[in-house]
Amino acid sequence: MQNTIPKRIFDFLKDLPPFTLLGKERLMDISEQVVVQYKKRGETIFRQGDEPEAYFYIVHEGAVHLLNQREGEGDVLVDECDEGDLFGIRPLLAEEPYALTAVAKEECLLYAIPTANFPQIMEENPKVALYLASTFAVEARPKALPVHKNYSLSGEIGNQEAESLVEVQSIERSKQPITCSAETSIKEAALIMSEKEVGSIIIVDGKQQPIGIVTDKDFRMKVVTGRFALEESIRQIMSSPVITARSDLSMADVQIKMIRHKINHLCLTENGEDNSAVIGVISEHDLMVMQGNNPAILIREMKRSTEVREMKRIRIRAEELLEKYLDQEVSISYITNIMSEINDALIVRAIELSMKELETKGKTKPQVDFCWMALGSEGRREQLLRTDQDSALVFSDVPSSDYEAVKAYFLDLASQVTDKLNECGFDYCPADMMASNPQWCLSLQEWKAQFSKWIHSPTPKAVLHSTIFFDFRPVFGNFSLAESLTEHIFSDLDQQSLFMTYLAKNAVGKPPPLTFFRNFVVEKSGEHKDEFDIKARAMMPLTDAARVLILHARQGKINNTFRRFEELADLDPNNKELFEQAADAYEILMRYRALQGLKNKDTGRYLKPSDLSKMERLNLRNSFKPIGELQTLIATRFQVMYVR
Amino acid sequence: MNSKLKKMIFNLFKRRETGLESLPAFWKTYHTSFEQAYDRKTPIEDIRFVCFDTETTGLDPQKDQILSLGAIAVQNWEIKVSERLEFMVHQEYQPVGQAIEVHGILPKKREESLSEREAVEHFLAFIRQSVLIGHHVGFDINMINIALSGILKKKLKLKNASVDTINLAKRLLPPTHHLSSGELSLDQLAQKYQLPMQDRHTAAGDAYMTAILFLKMLDKLEKRGNKTLSDLLRK
Repeated sequence: MQNTIPKRIFDFLKDLPPFTLLGKERLMDISEQVVVQYKKRGETIFRQGDEPEAYFYIVHEGAVHLLNQREGEGDVLVDECDEGDLFGIRPLLAEEPYALTAVAKEECLLYAIPTANFPQIMEENPKVALYLASTFAVEARPKALPVHKNYSLSGEIGNQEAESLVEVQSIERSKQPITCSAETSIKEAALIMSEKEVGSIIIVDGKQQPIGIVTDKDFRMKVVTGRFALEESIRQIMSSPVITARSDLSMADVQIKMIRHKINHLCLTENGEDNSAVIGVISEHDLMVMQGNNPAILIREMKRSTEVREMKRIRIRAEELLEKYLDQEVSISYITNIMSEINDALIVRAIELSMKELETKGKTKPQVDFCWMALGSEGRREQLLRTDQDSALVFSDVPSSDYEAVKAYFLDLASQVTDKLNECGFDYCPADMMASNPQWCLSLQEWKAQFSKWIHSPTPKAVLHSTIFFDFRPVFGNFSLAESLTEHIFSDLDQQSLFMTYLAKNAVGKPPPLTFFRNFVVEKSGEHKDEFDIKARAMMPLTDAARVLILHARQGKINNTFRRFEELADLDPNNKELFEQAADAYEILMRYRALQGLKNKDTGRYLKPSDLSKMERLNLRNSFKPIGELQTLIATRFQVMYVR
Repeated sequence: MNSKLKKMIFNLFKRRETGLESLPAFWKTYHTSFEQAYDRKTPIEDIRFVCFDTETTGLDPQKDQILSLGAIAVQNWEIKVSERLEFMVHQEYQPVGQAIEVHGILPKKREESLSEREAVEHFLAFIRQSVLIGHHVGFDINMINIALSGILKKKLKLKNASVDTINLAKRLLPPTHHLSSGELSLDQLAQKYQLPMQDRHTAAGDAYMTAILFLKMLDKLEKRGNKTLSDLLRK
């Protein structure tokens, strides 16, 4: 038989994660088994508490609301699923009733996909399991991990190994396995469990080897129902043998093992078999928490780190997290938040440690407030990869008699900090735009004078500096110093509008990176000949455009380029669509650059158009579209043709 | 009733029985499925519908032949992708007419296709007593009927109830609506009901599109109080 009809299903699924991760044949098999369901507006698809169905769903057309229906609290909308979104995947991952109710918000066509083959698919392809697990985490805990839907650059980037379960060790430390002997009474075991606040207990023999496990569920099913009395031994109600695993399993492996055996607790033993001693227990709940808490753990560990080596190691783990997030197509706004929190924590820790070190050398901090400011991409909270550092330091005005000593201290501090950041993998700024440079370590008064000079005599160099310095963001110290600098800049801008024109002219200086024939503009010579410079050609024009427009709107606190565009969309409804497109475009470019950088172990700045798939080229090309329009808008608004 | 008349009726009955006896098994199986024919009061969600389409060498059922056939089942607001038929049909003679170019089906693809007889056998086994749905369904039924008569060497017709999606589309228009030309074509209806436009001109593709269109129209018809088979069969 021919397969025109399954091919249509296939064509829809092939661009959507996790199907992007599947081979063609496998996906064709799945397409053959799809049931296309029509849902009337307002129809309930499944209800909270219902037993799971044999399908999970993808919205082909229409919209579905996921509701939390708690008694007495009414319905709470947890998520809306639109075309291409996955929902109802609980039956794939847990033998539990639905946690939410799904209702067709409008008339819908759903693709119902049988779950039967998925355990095998997930086993063959751990990334599918990981993706589904993260989507599941979203369903279970609303808005925790917004999964980005529309821009799948491709599923093929990234290595094929399963991500390592970095946190297993910390779990073991924090969670000693709770055990008891087989002769313990049910009542005693229950008391131990409630005292230790655990959901499971491992029954061990004299050698601490696991012979059985009892979970909350066993109590519900076997004791509360009266089938076994409290005085009987725990042996009576335990599940045996215990499913065991080694502690170095990947997260995906654990997930799959649980699915295959239909269990919620996995017992970790020394050699992974049940003939060695118990060293820990991992529950499905632990898995969820781990997935959600990864960044929190990293930030906490960063704050507690005591040496640079440790900071570097944590930052490398953050990069693994970044890779996982990109792979799972988590939204860029979430990723940038997490990564800049981690970067900030690293900078803060570097400053704190440096101050301590100086103190041990007898150099105490003068009683003067200061503020460490991040500039450039870190200032904009967009530094996903460890590119170079840009920073500045501002300190409170001091009597001129103290100035030399105070400045010397802060320069000393700044060099210590930049050295540490360098050791952590952030290169020194080639143009020396760092707080350790005497030019960029200034008192508030000096900084105000410096910005005034740039604003009132906008030489090309001044404009270039301002593109970096205007993205400053306080990271450590007294933030009000940075705020008064912002105020000063705005009042100066009010007096000198010509500066904005120069800044605008700079922003329109780099045309959209497409030639007349819709090909990428590549570098003509040098080390990166025939490569595309994604930073200079596509990202900087957007960054520059966002900066000039947001400065013009006098919005000082928003530094992030796509947030700036989002804010502009709110402020200027006439150009809402363009600004939204620009925000989307910037997110795509950031994602692409990060993927590229991780793949090539570099800054991701240069890429070969010939290496891109058709889909990727199309995606990138689309993201160039708003550049030209933005530049026209800026050129008109700021009358750039009148300045030279 | 006098005995002569009784005998006549009996003979008539007997002749019909023998008539069925002499026909191939596939027809008998098909025929028997109508013992469970749908009552006109059957609620819509209990009915198995089969949406189908044929591509032919032309528009004259007497002269033209089936080139390909696509069919898909719809029941209880669901389309199961696995419950479908799609194949090409080859003819004993070279097909004549322009349709070949339009559909891009050339006779040389013979090895991948079924003979007309195989096609009809498969089709009957698939549809059983289901209600047939199609865009201009009368034409497609006619094509099958003629093929069927040719195969059985006997003038026999499909016994299924059928619903034309064109008729449904008309019923959903306001009574005073002035029809413009092409308004009820599958393409235009697909646009109106926001169906994804994909490669047209394959029988299976059109059958699938008709199935989705049918579900969308069914929802609207149901809201207007159409609940049973007889509501659906109304002209």
